[in-house]
Amino acid sequence: MEKRKRILLAKPGLDAHDMGIKLIARALKDAGAEIVYGGIYVTPEEITKTAVEEDVDMLGLSFHSSTHLVTVPKIMKLLKEKGRGDLTVVVGGCIPLEDIQVLKKMGVRETFGSGSPLDDIIDFMMI
Amino acid sequence: MSDPVKLEEREEKKSDGLLEAYYEKPKRLTTWSGFPVKDIYTQDDLQGVDYERDIAKAGEYPFTRGIHSNMYRGRYWTIREGSGYARAVDTNKRLKFLASQGVGGFSIFRDLPTVWGIDADHPMAEGEVGVCGVNLTSLKDMEDVLDGIALDKVSVALLCASSLAPVIFCQYIAVAEKRGIDFSKLRGTIANDPLHSRYCYGKLSNPIDLSVKLAVDIIEFCTEHMPFWNTNSVNAYDMRETGINAPEEIAFGFCIAMEYIRKAMERGVNVDDFASRISFYFSASIDFFEEIAKLRAARRLWAKIMKEKIGASNPNSWKFRSGIHTAGSSLMPQQPLNNVIRISIEALAAVLGGVQSIHCCSYDEPIALPSEDSQRLAVRTQQILAYETGVANTADPLGGSYFLESLTNTIEEEAVKIIDEIEQMGGMAEAMRKEWVDQRIDQAALKLQKEIESKERIIVGVNAFTTGQREESQGDIQRIPPETETEQIANVKKLRDARDHNKVKEAITRLRDKALMGESENLILPIIEALKVYATIGEIQGTIREACGLSYDPFNILKSQY
Repeated sequence: MEKRKRILLAKPGLDAHDMGIKLIARALKDAGAEIVYGGIYVTPEEITKTAVEEDVDMLGLSFHSSTHLVTVPKIMKLLKEKGRGDLTVVVGGCIPLEDIQVLKKMGVRETFGSGSPLDDIIDFMMI
Repeated sequence: MSDPVKLEEREEKKSDGLLEAYYEKPKRLTTWSGFPVKDIYTQDDLQGVDYERDIAKAGEYPFTRGIHSNMYRGRYWTIREGSGYARAVDTNKRLKFLASQGVGGFSIFRDLPTVWGIDADHPMAEGEVGVCGVNLTSLKDMEDVLDGIALDKVSVALLCASSLAPVIFCQYIAVAEKRGIDFSKLRGTIANDPLHSRYCYGKLSNPIDLSVKLAVDIIEFCTEHMPFWNTNSVNAYDMRETGINAPEEIAFGFCIAMEYIRKAMERGVNVDDFASRISFYFSASIDFFEEIAKLRAARRLWAKIMKEKIGASNPNSWKFRSGIHTAGSSLMPQQPLNNVIRISIEALAAVLGGVQSIHCCSYDEPIALPSEDSQRLAVRTQQILAYETGVANTADPLGGSYFLESLTNTIEEEAVKIIDEIEQMGGMAEAMRKEWVDQRIDQAALKLQKEIESKERIIVGVNAFTTGQREESQGDIQRIPPETETEQIANVKKLRDARDHNKVKEAITRLRDKALMGESENLILPIIEALKVYATIGEIQGTIREACGLSYDPFNILKSQY
């Protein structure tokens, strides 16, 4: 039997706009992925700990309060320290276009700003 | 009938674009909320409607047409714009800029750490200080925000709805007192709606019982001491933004308001002494007629609820007063200038819906914090509506429209059904404890997303008429410099060292003692005293939380120093 793709979805920080990430969790589940839902109000330490413990294939992060440029590097650094520098990281939410390249330089594989078609997100994350 | 196969074929054949555009017609013949809309409405749709009983003149019960007899002829709606970003001095500067552009009222936005009641140097605040609003860790910050603003002349809306609302409210009072202004003269509004904010932010710092207790403290205090202060602005807007529909917006907002009103009455406050100072914060979304109908339905229903269900006897207690915020969720980052049009239409619906104040979104909000230019445009949008279009010249100009009156009835009926369901559960607090509200919100969001994905709902520039998002420029983006946070953390640490520790300890002890005395002890005065000696919001919230048997820190990281 083919192993189902395990995806950790989490929303770091104090912001609670979790409709987007919840919708994506549901859509990925429908597409056959196994979702580890990290939820909201989680710290980079908690997220990376879960990523390692749950041995996930991908990490999806959602941001809506412009903390992505502060939090993403911390998560990337912690992933490397914990031996999971290989993990594919995808970022979604309220991401200005000019930040996309910045995030990619930090090691983010792809970004999906608000208004991105759900199909595009699922297609990318299920590859 | 539209033929879906044919449409797909047409989409493929781009050369047929002209012909296709010529034959386009509406596909979704329902309102935003999903109510079917007919070809045409006639007097048959208003059977059983009694003008005097159900509609009446503006200013007369049940206020369907407006709460004032001459509406905007007496006074325009309040053009309210708000600010709160970066450092306190930046916010202060923006507020003064807005004043110079002709706004009639301010709103002050706070950042997420403030909403949560944690100080700027709390580990969870990292990256969030001064971002979504101004950071108000201590009284010093509020002093800086309000510097040079005449508190005895201006009407300020403090937009902090979480359990921290009393602390922000008390910061405002403390600044006034320190300037020698009697707080009984202050005019303004405190959002004071912690129940709604469980669905928007800070669920962990908004336990239901403590939230309602503190909300009632403000009501009780204002009833006794602050005649010009509006005690609650019940926020149905934020809940609507999650994707719920127009009747749900009314029902959730009203059930939350009833929760505070009933608790205040249980504490012995006479409903007619405070009900007229409860207002609502509603959305003006993109379905033009439905939003106008919603506001009319809300006015009629609130009047009935207050008179018949709650038993208020003063007609002023029956009036649904509403501040409107145009729907941020209707704005899109793609082709951002399109948002200018959306905002104008939504603001027009609010005016025709007869509201008391309007806050227009800025068109760049889906991308970043509003710039000075975009915020000026938001003010100008309202000024054009007020001064050029003539829409303010008569009360409820669309009243009597067969379609609008019919839609008003439909929305009211649907809202009544939802309110009855919530009341049968034991009211809004119970519906929240059972997570019934959460489920309803989740279902609505999923439904909305599916409708957009399937193109049942067309959003221009998003799922139709796109130009390829990645190539578009988003213009200049307002950024919060990272120094904002480091500077504020340094300020907070400095403040902690400089203040009189014994005085802080005494004030915190007094607050704790009072909070331990039980739910009906009003904490407003001890909070003001603690703020004046520069106890921080984290210390004040933590002390109250501990006295109520909760952890000092909602994140369980910090412990009380006192």
